[in-house]
Amino acid sequence: MEHQARLLWFAREVLPHEADVRRWLFGRIRGLSSCELDEVVQEAYARIWAADIERIGNGRAYLFVTARHIVGEHVRRSRIVSIELVADLESLNIVDDEIGAHRRLSGEQEVERVMAAIATLPPKCRQAFQLKKFEELSQREIAERMGIAESTVEKHLAKALRLVMQVMKAPAVGAEEDDGGKRRLWGLG
Amino acid sequence: MTVVSGDFGDSDDVESLAATWVVRSAEGPLSDVEQQRLDSWLSENSRHLGAYVRAQAVWVDMDRVAALDAGREIEPVPQARHWPWRRMALAASVLLAIGGGLAAQDRLGGRIATARGEVREVALDDGSKLFLNGDTVVQVRFADKERRILLRRGEASFQVAHDRARPFIVQADDVAVRAVGTDFAVGIQDAGGVSVTVAQGVVEVTEKESGQPRQHRLSRDEQFVAAATGTRRVGLDAREVNRRLAWRKGQLVFRGQMLATAAAEVNRYAAKPVVINDPSLGRAEFMGVFNVGDAGAFARGPRPPSMARWSRPTRRSFCRGNKIRRRINSGFRAAAALLP
Repeated sequence: MEHQARLLWFAREVLPHEADVRRWLFGRIRGLSSCELDEVVQEAYARIWAADIERIGNGRAYLFVTARHIVGEHVRRSRIVSIELVADLESLNIVDDEIGAHRRLSGEQEVERVMAAIATLPPKCRQAFQLKKFEELSQREIAERMGIAESTVEKHLAKALRLVMQVMKAPAVGAEEDDGGKRRLWGLG
Repeated sequence: MTVVSGDFGDSDDVESLAATWVVRSAEGPLSDVEQQRLDSWLSENSRHLGAYVRAQAVWVDMDRVAALDAGREIEPVPQARHWPWRRMALAASVLLAIGGGLAAQDRLGGRIATARGEVREVALDDGSKLFLNGDTVVQVRFADKERRILLRRGEASFQVAHDRARPFIVQADDVAVRAVGTDFAVGIQDAGGVSVTVAQGVVEVTEKESGQPRQHRLSRDEQFVAAATGTRRVGLDAREVNRRLAWRKGQLVFRGQMLATAAAEVNRYAAKPVVINDPSLGRAEFMGVFNVGDAGAFARGPRPPSMARWSRPTRRSFCRGNKIRRRINSGFRAAAALLP
């Protein structure tokens, strides 16, 4: 699969489930900081990127299982493992309910969510972003139109992207509970 | 718990850096020096790679959001200066059915034609711009007193350079759309009838559908339809108008249309038509953004929970489970969901 197609696969099959994985880990492992959560998620993305995406049937399940492996490795690598933590880790083995509880946003809701985030950006930053994504102008054209330096345009765009990346971490309000999952055990195939 | 952290800062820095790299590489090819810097940053730590992949996925996903949201204003951003093209922006879409009898005229001068699934932009010598949708034929006839475009087949849209002395007229069948310094679109459909859709500004439509020539003034977000069954005017919202003009970006956008309707629209561009075998599936609401001409992606896009099969009359069958097997042109953006 070529690069762009892989990214689209990530956007459709992994990204929408990230918030659930975060919540799942956060609820089960005590003392997990959001920074550590970010690290686990980043590591998971790197591993899935290296995997044979064509053969992954269920992106959501794969993301859960990958995240669980990463946490397990971290625990094994750390010198001091509290009993509490091991118990927490045990609970991570029963993830089928979580994987089945598929909270899906409709396309419209996803749009609303991102738009709401973008609306909170400072005006110049938002304008640069809109010109880039909606009008599909180049950074040079945006710079000319807004009367600012091209490097400033890039900063605005990176800031807007950074914000949306942050928004994607939170479970979306209005995500539907869709309890369609049968109980089964998941492993890395 | 303690997650092993190497010597790297907090994830905020990693994500900011990732975002910057994504924005920069989306703009165009990186210079050799930049590419080396990016490569070494990515190989430094697998989390850098993960953050970069994630940031790219979000960036790609925002294309889809932008497409689904095409043209919707969050709230107007105060503008430092007026955009001249905004002032003269007007889009209308004229769709009509044409029977036989055009082959002879097609050989006349000023003919521009596109193939199925091809969208082309043409600069006219008066400074106007012309966008041709797929399977479209127009003839450009510019004279001293008027600029006339004959639409023979398909759909086109125009950004008209202002010239009071030479009115710009697009003619399709018995319908003429007159605009002075505007932007509008014209098209021809199999179903018959002519429709004019105005996104911005005002156009004057003259039609003889009722026997006598009649004039109609249409303004923003209005649609006028002249068909064998009579004429009618419809108010549209801006998003719907934008949806209908998405082909100018080479896209088809659906927002809750019936699947059967969406498939019919996709089939206007596709060499191999999509066929929906299950009538109840055809009535399902559909949402998605597709490249013009990519019927295969459309057919493989959404997967309804039922076992209904979509098929094209070819040796292929699609939609097994939720697997996405796509060969996608770079720049392709697709998103599809059957609405709950």
